[in-house]
Amino acid sequence: MYGMLKTKQKLKIKNKHGQLKIQQMIFMILAVMFLFILVALFFLSISLNKMKKEATNLAEKNSMLLVSKLANSPEFSCENAFGSNKPNCIDFDKIMALKKDIAKYSDFWGIAKIEIRKVYPNQGNVSCNTENYPNCGDLKILDKKVKVLPYSYTFVSLCRKEFSETGPYNKCELARLMVSSQDRT
Amino acid sequence: MEKRSLQLVHNKFGALELSFGWLFAIIAGIVIIFIAIYISSKLIGSSQETISAETGKEINILLNPLETSFESTQTTSITIPTETRINNICDDTGTFGRQGIKLDQKSFGKWVSTNTMVYINNKYLFSESIIEGKRFYLFSKPFNFPFKIADLIYMTSSAKTYCFVDAPYEVISDISNLNQSNILFENCSNKTVNICFNNGNCAVNVNLNSRTVKKDKSTVYFSGLGEDTNALMYAAIFSDKANYECQVTRLLLRLKELSSLYKEKIISLQGIGCTDSLSGRLNELENLISNSTTSRNLDEIAMKAAKVEETNNGGVCMVC
Repeated sequence: MYGMLKTKQKLKIKNKHGQLKIQQMIFMILAVMFLFILVALFFLSISLNKMKKEATNLAEKNSMLLVSKLANSPEFSCENAFGSNKPNCIDFDKIMALKKDIAKYSDFWGIAKIEIRKVYPNQGNVSCNTENYPNCGDLKILDKKVKVLPYSYTFVSLCRKEFSETGPYNKCELARLMVSSQDRT
Repeated sequence: MEKRSLQLVHNKFGALELSFGWLFAIIAGIVIIFIAIYISSKLIGSSQETISAETGKEINILLNPLETSFESTQTTSITIPTETRINNICDDTGTFGRQGIKLDQKSFGKWVSTNTMVYINNKYLFSESIIEGKRFYLFSKPFNFPFKIADLIYMTSSAKTYCFVDAPYEVISDISNLNQSNILFENCSNKTVNICFNNGNCAVNVNLNSRTVKKDKSTVYFSGLGEDTNALMYAAIFSDKANYECQVTRLLLRLKELSSLYKEKIISLQGIGCTDSLSGRLNELENLISNSTTSRNLDEIAMKAAKVEETNNGGVCMVC
């Protein structure tokens, strides 16, 4: 009887030792898994950050290259409305019409902001609308409410038709065409 | 220690005996290794997708300088370090439709297909649906119908050589100025894609009288107005039918939107003494486009567009 009890006790102690070892192993495996997950997350965040930076760099490059060509796109360019086809000439009357319909064009050029600011004659920061046109100095054509990168700009001639007693005539002023892409960082 | 290792290897009957701890460790190890292999294969796949998206975006950016102003043609080339397959995807739904680019690159001698597409709304890229190589030639021409609609961009691979047979002088002078090594005017062979004008039995047959291009047993139509009337002809030569028809639809959609922009402009010009003689013509043009957006109707649309140009030139204020 005593002998049987002793064997049972020994078995219990062995069992407890075994359970402890399994628990230790489970904890160890969990710790290793946790370490792997942490390392993976670390590398993932680094590569994600790198990707975001790359996307921002590409967006900046895009706006830099686009700004020099945007004035010649059909929605902006003077075409033959002010004499023969002029490069870097923006039709002010046409872009006022474009501003009214800008919702259709919100993703057309792949940029977040397009703005035109008169340089000469300087008419301050008076924002252009149908009431004060053309006596204004700043026209925000596209203005997405997002975080943007610094503006890329180019100088353009901003032409419109003006009224006179002898009939309509062409008037051109110096302006700055500015575009900006979304900052994704 | 000695006793334990004996326990691990063989019991007294010679059978392999493992304690639960070892068995558990082996199974957990296998699971961990499989998870690691799975994650690393996914990472390699996603890095391929990233490279494809980045290169696609870079191509999109490189297309910007191809926008023309007073010049009639712009040209450039793109070189990609690895063998690349450019999938030219055209979508004509929505207000303007969109241009998609998807790149597949060769890795360890096998093409790795990606799912990442880069979309551009303001570009019109004419090429075969899939072109492959390392070096790609691009040139662009303005498309006026009657006012400027867009710049058409033509893309070819250096791996494919085109040969123009009996081309008219204006085509030769247009193309030879590009200095593209994959376009020839003599020494055509069976290895080159031969383009015949008004006669012959070539891979591509251009009929300047009926203004058609026959290719792969299918016919597409082209038209043009103003000084440079061949922009759509080159588009039909260098692209396949599906891509060409889709891009023509997109161009007509933009023409429609530009017409409504000019109509809006006319309203504002009336306030300074300009008479409106153009809105009616623009309406006719818009209505015609609403009913037909295939290349078959291009000549009919061109006739209406010519009337718009005539009215515009004769008006008190030139609108476009």
